[in-house]
Amino acid sequence: MGSYHVLTAKGSTALGGDKLTSCFSSSSGHGFLLSHQLFHRNVYSHKYRIQANAHNRKQVSTAHPTSDTLKTLQRTLSLDSALPPAPPLSSPQSDEGKRAGPSSAQVQDEVRTASGKSHLASNKPSAVFVLFRQVKRAVERTLSSFNLALAELAIIAALCALGTLIEQGQSKEFYLEKYAEDYAFGMFNGEWVLRLCLDHVYTAPYFLGLIACLAASLMACTSSRQLPLVKIARRWKFYNSGASVSKLPFHETLPRAQLADLGALLAADNYQVFVKGPALYAFKGLAGRFAPIGVHAALLLIMGGATYSAIGGYRGNVMVPQGLNFMIGEVMYPVGFLARPPDTFDTEVHVNRFSIETYPNGEVSQFRTDLSLFDLRGREVSRKEISVNKPLRYGGFTMYQTDWAISAFQVRVDGEGPYNLVAAPLQTGDNKLFGTFLPLGDTGLGEVKGISMLARDLQSVIVYDSSGAFVGVRRSGSGRPITVDGVSIIIDDVIGSTGLELKMDPGVPIVYAGFGALMLTTVISYLCHVQVWALQEGNSLLVGAKSNRNRSDFQEEFEKLLDFVPEIVKPENGTPPVVLTNSIGGLQNPDKSVG
Amino acid sequence: MIYTGIEYIFVNISFVMFFFVTLLNLINLFYKIDKIDHFSKNSMTIAFFCTTGFLITRYLQTRHLPLGNLYESLMFLSWGFSLLYLILEVRDQIGLSHAVLAPGAMLIHAFATLSLPQQMRSPTLLVPALQSQWLMMHVSAMLISYITLLCGSLLAITLLSLFYGKVGSVTLEHKFEKQSFFFLMNPRKNLWKQTGAENYSYFLISNSRKCQLINCLDKWACQTISLGFSLLTIGILSGAVWANEAWGSYWSWDPKETWALVTWLVYAIYLHTKVDKRKMGEGPAMTASMGFFLVWICFLGVNLLGVGLHNYGWLA
Repeated sequence: MGSYHVLTAKGSTALGGDKLTSCFSSSSGHGFLLSHQLFHRNVYSHKYRIQANAHNRKQVSTAHPTSDTLKTLQRTLSLDSALPPAPPLSSPQSDEGKRAGPSSAQVQDEVRTASGKSHLASNKPSAVFVLFRQVKRAVERTLSSFNLALAELAIIAALCALGTLIEQGQSKEFYLEKYAEDYAFGMFNGEWVLRLCLDHVYTAPYFLGLIACLAASLMACTSSRQLPLVKIARRWKFYNSGASVSKLPFHETLPRAQLADLGALLAADNYQVFVKGPALYAFKGLAGRFAPIGVHAALLLIMGGATYSAIGGYRGNVMVPQGLNFMIGEVMYPVGFLARPPDTFDTEVHVNRFSIETYPNGEVSQFRTDLSLFDLRGREVSRKEISVNKPLRYGGFTMYQTDWAISAFQVRVDGEGPYNLVAAPLQTGDNKLFGTFLPLGDTGLGEVKGISMLARDLQSVIVYDSSGAFVGVRRSGSGRPITVDGVSIIIDDVIGSTGLELKMDPGVPIVYAGFGALMLTTVISYLCHVQVWALQEGNSLLVGAKSNRNRSDFQEEFEKLLDFVPEIVKPENGTPPVVLTNSIGGLQNPDKSVG
Repeated sequence: MIYTGIEYIFVNISFVMFFFVTLLNLINLFYKIDKIDHFSKNSMTIAFFCTTGFLITRYLQTRHLPLGNLYESLMFLSWGFSLLYLILEVRDQIGLSHAVLAPGAMLIHAFATLSLPQQMRSPTLLVPALQSQWLMMHVSAMLISYITLLCGSLLAITLLSLFYGKVGSVTLEHKFEKQSFFFLMNPRKNLWKQTGAENYSYFLISNSRKCQLINCLDKWACQTISLGFSLLTIGILSGAVWANEAWGSYWSWDPKETWALVTWLVYAIYLHTKVDKRKMGEGPAMTASMGFFLVWICFLGVNLLGVGLHNYGWLA
């Protein structure tokens, strides 16, 4: 496509939005001429040429050299005439035939290849192949249907919402009990909940099937709708007939306007402009055409990554008392059939320390666990203090701080010990309570009496005597003895255990890549891809344009731009020629501009 | 405790100002009085600065971003409404979005200060899971997206109420075709064309003003929702990354994230119907107005039920 003259204005600020309005407000002919000259200098000084209209404008200028206002125009034209001689407007047909002929044929050929039909017919492929193709096309058409995709989105949304209304992942009895009554005239009860898999909607076969359908729709839409659109958009296609320009959603005929002026205006407004003979093609914001494809691709990437997470990972939970250790491989269990154990499963984890930090008012501020990792030879390979929001990553798996408990009370009784008394959880959940029991004397099997100790955190212990009466509170490690039932007790320590969650999720990098791509492409999607076609027909200029979104706004803006295409009025009865804008501004002050 | 006093002053001034602006904007809908715009803009500016002052005071008190509990996030929401109001002051000349935003800001403010008990309004310390750099990114992106989506949906609801109001003798489909025609031209162009064309008689039909409004609303709703949608995407995804740091899984079908996904899907449907030329008219607007309720369910409803991992800053 070497024969097209590409216009890109480097100093494109000449037609910024502000400039444009300010030019408009000074709507006299002279004011406009200045801006007109500005555009031309802007374009021509960069050695870009628009050939088609040079001849035409020269005619205007030579016919009326005496005009006062035309002096400025003449100056631009002298710049213009310094360029190599341009072919006259009447000759673009022959010009096109000589230079751009092959390329236009090539374009048409490409179009035919893209549509594919004519080639298939001529090749006479086998019947099976044709059938396969037809089936494939039919499936693709169904899947890429807009309404189907929207319906899938809507049903998925509805099922997601339903899943939050019915508690997920409970036992059978729970549902039978909770939905014992018949709702909706016996159509809905506990059994139906179980039968419709509503107790685990998000992993139900129909839900996963719907998501698979959505993925198929996304792919079909991308391949059958978006990619062809991009192919077409990337091809610089000129319209050489007025009829095809008029078919565009936005089209307009500018009387007495020149293609070159429009080209310069578009180039200054950051369009990529291509001119061939009497036809012009310009576009901007091609990224806005690519981005929706990126959105779909990113969604597919996320779905793929999530699937991989679901079938190729390991998970595990462990509650480890401070000072003890465990092997990673012992606590991890595979999530899906693709899960393969990595070498790092031989790593041994040692809990050096577990602590709970609190705010001055007693609320928990952070849980911290100091972990050391040892390999088979007993070498420390990693050490880190983890907390909520700061997990430990090593060799493909991640360790999270998720839970805590009290494992034992370390006490000295009458100076003997220390003894470790195992703590039992009395309350779980957010309000944890742990207790332990110190038996007193040897009272036989019948009635065991002793001291009860309760703790809600690692710091203070509440002590009750054998009759169950409150005795006092001691801070752990304070060393202050407390006398209960004649026995002196010192609470040395409250040993906590840390609740760790372990995970090996190979899908995370894929999902993260999808996240990044999705964030980026949704934002870029709002760029408007605008395409402009123009055709010079005699003195008037036929302009058509189309944008992929934001239609009303785009049209307003584009009309503003068109208002600045100069209108060259040929003189009648010897009055000097005048350049008007195609806007009301030019018509409002006819006296001024005619001068 | 000097902070409590300052907060009290800021909250009350901003409430009075919100109330004042709402009144002025409602009057402005029916009577055109020149000074009103000026007054309402000034009052809104005062309200904006007072809410900003409140948030800063909160920050100084707690030393973390004032998004720690429901009260603070509601105040942030009303702050966002007032900010949006001031931004649109520059761009929207019709002032319809003002009539939507001012009551919105006032109602959220009123709900936060009047209906929440004192203990929920006092500043709270951050629980371990919230102590992260992601708090700012996730929560602020989510709240700003709620603000923009709510605003867009309110515009869509306004559109629908105008649409189903008395429309005269023109049938709906026909009318919408006309509107789309109508708005694609700016007045200047029309005047210019009038000199040459004669078939612009329907320029004078009685409900042309209404058509104009509907089309304007449609455009504004679409643009606001587009912005809100990308913010919601960023919010949800940053939340997922954070969840992978804090809870060990980037997606755990927690009620709040599920509802955010539902909201996202519904607005995705809206944006897709807007792209399709054949689906112009009230259909997309209905989807968008549905989004209004979804955002509220997502923002408040899930916390009201007190389920899931996102249950921060609600009654203990």
